Amino acid sequence: MDIDPFTVEIVRSQLIAASEESFIALGKSSQSPIIYEVLDYACAITDREGNIVAQANGVPGFLGTLTFAVKAVLEKFPPTSLRPGDTVITNDPYVGGGNHLSDVALISPIFSQEKLVAFGVNKAHWTEVGGMAPGSWTTDSTEIYQEGLQFPVIRIGKGYTLDRSLLDLIAHNVRTPDRTLGDLYAGIASLRTAESRVKEIVDRCGVDMFERCIAEILDHGERLARQALAALPEGTYRAEEYMDDDGLSGDPVYVCVKVTIGKDRFTADFTGSSPAVRGPINCTRTRLHSATRSIFKAVTDPEFPVNDGWFRPLEVVCPPRTVFTAERPSPVSTYWETGAYACDLIWRALFEIFSDRLTAGHSLSVCGTIISGKDEDNETFILVEPQAGGWGAGVDKDGENGLVVVGDGETYVMPVEVCEARYPLLVERYAFNTPPAGAGAFRGGFGLIRDYRIVCEEASLTTTFGRHKYPPWGAGGGNDGSENGVYVFKGDKKKPVLYGGKLARYPLEKGDLVRLQTGTGGGFGPPQERDPQLVRADVENGFLSLTDAREVYAVEIDPSTLRVDSEKTKRLRGAKQ
Amino acid sequence: MRFASDIGGTFTDLAYLDESTGAVGVGKSKTTPGDFARGVTETVKSRNVSVADATFFVHGSTIVINTLTERKGSKTGLLTTKGFRDVLEIGRANRPDIYNLYYTKPKPFVPRRYRLEVSERVNFKGEVLLPMNEEDVRLAVEFFLSEGVEAVAVCFLHSYANPDHERRCGELVKKLAPGLRVTLSCEITGEWREYERTNTAVLNSYVMKTAGEYLDTLGRRLSGLGMKTACHVMQSNGGTATFEMGRRAPINMVESGPVGGVIGAAVIGRIADEKNVISFDVGGTTAKTSLIEGGEPRITTGYRIEWSKGFAGYPVLVPTVDIVEIGAGGGSIAWVDSAGALHVGPESAGADPGPACCGWGGKKPTVTDANVLAGRINPRYFLGGEIPLYEKLAREAMRPVADSIGVTVEEAAMGVIRLADSSMVNALKLVSVRRGYDPREFCIVAFGGGGAMHAAALVRELKVKKAIVPTNPAVFSAWGMLMTDLRQDFVKTCIRRTDRVDSAELSRFFDEMEGRARDSLKRQQIPGGRVVYRRSADMRYAGQEHTVSVPLPGGAVTPEKLSLIDERFHRLHERAYAFRLDTPIELVNYHLTAFGVVDKPDLKKVDGRALDLAGACKGRRRVNFDELGFHECETYERELLPVSERIAGPAVVEEPASTCIVFPGQSLARDEYGFLHIKNDTTGG
Repeated sequence: MDIDPFTVEIVRSQLIAASEESFIALGKSSQSPIIYEVLDYACAITDREGNIVAQANGVPGFLGTLTFAVKAVLEKFPPTSLRPGDTVITNDPYVGGGNHLSDVALISPIFSQEKLVAFGVNKAHWTEVGGMAPGSWTTDSTEIYQEGLQFPVIRIGKGYTLDRSLLDLIAHNVRTPDRTLGDLYAGIASLRTAESRVKEIVDRCGVDMFERCIAEILDHGERLARQALAALPEGTYRAEEYMDDDGLSGDPVYVCVKVTIGKDRFTADFTGSSPAVRGPINCTRTRLHSATRSIFKAVTDPEFPVNDGWFRPLEVVCPPRTVFTAERPSPVSTYWETGAYACDLIWRALFEIFSDRLTAGHSLSVCGTIISGKDEDNETFILVEPQAGGWGAGVDKDGENGLVVVGDGETYVMPVEVCEARYPLLVERYAFNTPPAGAGAFRGGFGLIRDYRIVCEEASLTTTFGRHKYPPWGAGGGNDGSENGVYVFKGDKKKPVLYGGKLARYPLEKGDLVRLQTGTGGGFGPPQERDPQLVRADVENGFLSLTDAREVYAVEIDPSTLRVDSEKTKRLRGAKQ
Repeated sequence: MRFASDIGGTFTDLAYLDESTGAVGVGKSKTTPGDFARGVTETVKSRNVSVADATFFVHGSTIVINTLTERKGSKTGLLTTKGFRDVLEIGRANRPDIYNLYYTKPKPFVPRRYRLEVSERVNFKGEVLLPMNEEDVRLAVEFFLSEGVEAVAVCFLHSYANPDHERRCGELVKKLAPGLRVTLSCEITGEWREYERTNTAVLNSYVMKTAGEYLDTLGRRLSGLGMKTACHVMQSNGGTATFEMGRRAPINMVESGPVGGVIGAAVIGRIADEKNVISFDVGGTTAKTSLIEGGEPRITTGYRIEWSKGFAGYPVLVPTVDIVEIGAGGGSIAWVDSAGALHVGPESAGADPGPACCGWGGKKPTVTDANVLAGRINPRYFLGGEIPLYEKLAREAMRPVADSIGVTVEEAAMGVIRLADSSMVNALKLVSVRRGYDPREFCIVAFGGGGAMHAAALVRELKVKKAIVPTNPAVFSAWGMLMTDLRQDFVKTCIRRTDRVDSAELSRFFDEMEGRARDSLKRQQIPGGRVVYRRSADMRYAGQEHTVSVPLPGGAVTPEKLSLIDERFHRLHERAYAFRLDTPIELVNYHLTAFGVVDKPDLKKVDGRALDLAGACKGRRRVNFDELGFHECETYERELLPVSERIAGPAVVEEPASTCIVFPGQSLARDEYGFLHIKNDTTGG
């Protein structure tokens, strides 16, 4: 080895610190709740060819998307045409690491002694990029042109100066120009942080040493990944599922995967999945890559800091124009729902060989919710939030109750007290949803119920609750969980006027109650094998009725003492087997 | 005579100060788990000092954090607003370990069956939408009693805006069950966010019994030794409170230990006329650092116990000195991963089996072993020679690491030190650069067993003004506690735009908090004339979530003052986030800090008349100065160094519990109080 391992390690930790610092810079200066609360953004530093050497993420979904963004810049702008302080913007979903138009990537080259040494890149979910619906994403668009402004890998800043004409253009095409430009400035502030930190690192060790360190960091990542891969059982693993519908027709959408683990290759092949659909649930190839990467990371080593070397042994196969590989002008505005299924398919296919690192199926859908309207000052408000749901059981534990889904990460649900102060809504309940679903030797975790009473004159509701028709999967004899869904009640009426999954700008009026309900995760192992004391604890805690204890788990509990009647339980369990 | 006692994991430290002479004494004994109070009284007895003369006693204890992390508190119940009993378990639903698909959330300290709901509702303006149903409270208390619940927390929605329901509920509980310990969330904090506030109230109730009994026992034993003065606890906010306050709100003691060092660092800064200080505490397992600006430690209400990069932890919404802790201490273990990269920590050899060179059975190479191999630690003078160190054992432990990366043992040792230094540098940058501060305007105060050892490298790397190593760096936390004032913090949430706010309303908020502070400090024997108030507000641009803490002037709030506050906010925001906006500004939280100022004596100066450099010199040894190479350099005994005489690096200054390294291109001087100052010769760049 021609470089000492200490310098490599120090450069690695400095690059990670630099990416984290730029991540914090973006989050703290942003004005969009999706950025600062959901943390729907990522920041990375790449080498001069666009390979990620350090990345900070709030959610796993951006894993692997940023490298494509930088590579798209390099395709369009040869390195010789780039200058310090240039900033390129892209949100093209079909090329260059795009997801949907709301996810906007900013890229800046970093120079040291007039040599291009690295790129700073970040990507964030902007609250508003125009289009047919407030908040820009919706469940009923049918082509990309309805989904907002498109930035096709263009230079928005030259030599540290932003292009005023482009800023004016953006401001005139979005509903909340201040906030949208605020998101842009936050992203640029973050790029400047990355730039100055990387320059400090290169200044200390020199360009040559810096590049050799980066090569070693990537190679080291690859070596770790290959070691992890070599320890996996070779074989072919398959899974298939149906997604609810595309939001326009009621037809289910078929998706499938074949995962092949070879000696030095991990291949996820989605051939056979449904063609692209008319509604906006389609995702593009980038998301398929990041889904595969995040599961690969989860089953090999969830902790070690990511870099592109890790993913060299990965291969993603899928023909063009499927629901996973949509092309222009297919709508993609709620792409994350289908992206989640790409994760879930690989997850489900690999569950049996990774039961120590994967749980049974979980509520999966981000359950994206938009409530918008006018507050008492007649100002527009837009609440955009994900919902947390129930997670699947593991081989040695019950599922987690009320946890954000795989597509979210260090994402915080909004406190009731903050929500009520900010929006004309009254939260009447925030509690576990406890149907007797997801039963098993270890049971699925509970989803949540969040009740919003509308206290302004009128409002509108858009939701994309997937897994509304097909609940989370149980495993090893455990039961399936329960579905996600949205209810609307008029006043205090007991019977809902509506129960559904995907809604587009549904009109609400004062006094209406919106119930956002997420499902229970899948169970693991036969319910009759559940430890009767755990069943008893669930009864004591009000999670389970005595009847369900008997009928689902075959455990008899004395109603007055809440003790397990072991004789009767033995008989019940004997009878069921 | 002032006394401070600090219980740590391994040792219980004592520091005392004779006010008439300014002389400081210290003592140390093994911590006594099971009966921590015994360790405290033993240190006192071992030093043969009379506590009967004590004018001030302050105690830092791990009792609260231990009770929490060991889950040994009381059986606790929760009363909360109808519809919201699961809030404590839902938490914020985040997955910090984003690629971990087998994550386990924090388990709540109150199981669901002891979380009972009360029909009542207040909105964010503090208006009552639904009166409280007292029957619900009565039934709940009956149930709690029948189940043997020992403590209860009460947290209702929006109690920060209107605490009436919580207060009435508390009265009812006390009337119905006088034996139950009760915490009202509004008595701990007036800050919004229901999960965080509920959890804080729950943790307080959970530890009340254990903390109360412990303080009672300790108080009794100290009285038995003749102590007559009121006893104080060290709080997480960097100030003290009486044992009585400690019993009522023990959660304020959760970070009781480490803050002593931060306060001490602020005091050192004041004495050395350096208002901007970074405290740097290197222990066996971790390094801790905190930023002090203008003499004031940074306070956060975002503290979480058991938080890590992979675990959400439990929020504690009480003001806590903002300390960053990293897994790089003297005992941190160096290792090579399966793909050939070298790492240091976070695993630590701790005190058992300890670093390999101690010969206690440790086989893995640690940072201390690396320092021995680099010649930085004198193996014959560790803890004053009490514990002999074996270079041979350090070498044997380091060899596998060296072999697997293909370098010599010396190179591996230096590499381990560089990695440890590098993570310490990252931690120091985290508290400074990342928060918009330039380290070149700060000086480091280095303490703990290993602070002085690594300080010089940080001075080189970060280009800080200098590093100061106080006397007795190994018991510095206890020393810092000697220098504290009584302190109480109050927070209130109420969102107002600065262009629409009623200044009279703001005045009322602060008047009310100052009234509460005055009453409370009066109960703690602090007369009104000795109370100093400090105000601040958390402010943000409308639409933002993150706030910036803005100091506010005292006295009545007027429209003129408000416009000054706006400008101050713009400036602070720009420093933290590098931009300012032309949008309306919001006030979110109002903070009041009340200090009950106690007299602090002058420190004794060093009598340096008989001292000279030649007398302090103990010999020469070969030390590895990284890229500057090996140097033969003088080693000195700290206590014998003359005052104000510049020593050019390279050099080593030893004292029994610590070693200070000076690089070539640096110099060191001992000041009149005995503190060591390390500077770069040229501070360009």
